[in-house]
Amino acid sequence: MNQTELIRNLKNGDVRAVARLLTLIEDEDEKAEQILKEIWELTGKSYIIGITGPPGSGKSTIVDVLARTAIDHGHMVAVLAVDPTSPFSGGAVLGDRLRMSSAHESGIFIRSVASRGHLGGLAATTRFMVNALELLQNDITLVETVGAGQGDVEIVQLADTTVVVEVPGLGDEVQAQKAGILEIGDILVVNKSDRPGAERLFKELQMMLSLGEHGEWLPPIITTTATSNEGIDKLWNEIENHRNHLGNEKLRQQRLRKLKYDLENQVSQKLFNRKIIEVGSDKIERMATSIMKREIDPFSAIEKIIKE
Amino acid sequence: MGKKGKIRILIAKPGLDGHDRGAKVIARALRDAGMEVIYTGLRQSPEDIVEAAIQEDVQFIGLSILSGAHSHIFPKVVELLKERGVDDIRIIAGGIIPDKEIPKWKKMGIEAIFGPGSSTTEIIDYINGIAN
Repeated sequence: MNQTELIRNLKNGDVRAVARLLTLIEDEDEKAEQILKEIWELTGKSYIIGITGPPGSGKSTIVDVLARTAIDHGHMVAVLAVDPTSPFSGGAVLGDRLRMSSAHESGIFIRSVASRGHLGGLAATTRFMVNALELLQNDITLVETVGAGQGDVEIVQLADTTVVVEVPGLGDEVQAQKAGILEIGDILVVNKSDRPGAERLFKELQMMLSLGEHGEWLPPIITTTATSNEGIDKLWNEIENHRNHLGNEKLRQQRLRKLKYDLENQVSQKLFNRKIIEVGSDKIERMATSIMKREIDPFSAIEKIIKE
Repeated sequence: MGKKGKIRILIAKPGLDGHDRGAKVIARALRDAGMEVIYTGLRQSPEDIVEAAIQEDVQFIGLSILSGAHSHIFPKVVELLKERGVDDIRIIAGGIIPDKEIPKWKKMGIEAIFGPGSSTTEIIDYINGIAN
């Protein structure tokens, strides 16, 4: 496929073309930028649901059953599932697909994504990958994060509704008091609710919510056993409730705020890269040496480099 | 591939038997060699494999077959890829494939077959060799 062909096929929602564009985006190939420019106006049409939570909490299984539920409700769904890249080899085993057999059978487009060293629970290019997926005409995109820790909250900058999946037995009640991942949930899920400790976790989450501050939306807590589909209808209903709660206006504001945040990040990243190339790594190494020798303090060094 | 281009490979274990140790060892070895491995697990039909390979835009499909089902699965995967107009995904295989059949399968479009005793280094070198 040459580029013109690729763009034409993308506009027709061709699966192979979309798959290829996803590769170009994640490889940070310069062609990806050119192509995204051409198709930009066609994107932004899906409702993005983020699924996050610690490793082994059942995110993939929830995505699988949720995708099927969404289809039963007449939606078209696509899935992005992010897994971690090994910091040692740069490789990754992407196994989320393994647990998404029923979504796969329903003909849903599923793409496995390696985080490629990016921290925060997503890959650096995930947002644009969501945009590329939207050429498939799906109206729902499910994004599953890397098994997330307390600081991996980037999904909230991407998703319209964020679902945080917790499981019993991971930590004592103090965990629930900690900031971070629990606070980003529009919906909290206690998965594997057939396990001991589920009720206690439920109560801890309830307690946490009652102590914390929240806006007009009080995050509901849903108990599920995803492997047997239990509680998934309820979860789907709550996602729809949240979507209705946002309505058009709040959704618009929320997306604008996130896009603004994103744009600032992209601009600073680009400026950063340009500046680093402009200044050159020799100069930076000389500065670092001076800082180490205490000839200059880091703050003055930064000012000097920026003014360069 | 761009500046961050990686080799992406789908490892599948078609057929009805549950012997997936080999596939898992390979998946892990390829990961350690810096590749991105989409592991799809047991009992995948040729249709599943081809669809997943297209969605994942992999450069390679690795099929692990020990049950003799290869004589059904190889031609089917090759045919389905052709049907979908895919000509840039290479198929490699491992497991129990009789030596005397190997020329036939290679002619049909299975690029390489790694039987028992093959080292993971051999497989990695082969993939790196044709990917670059």
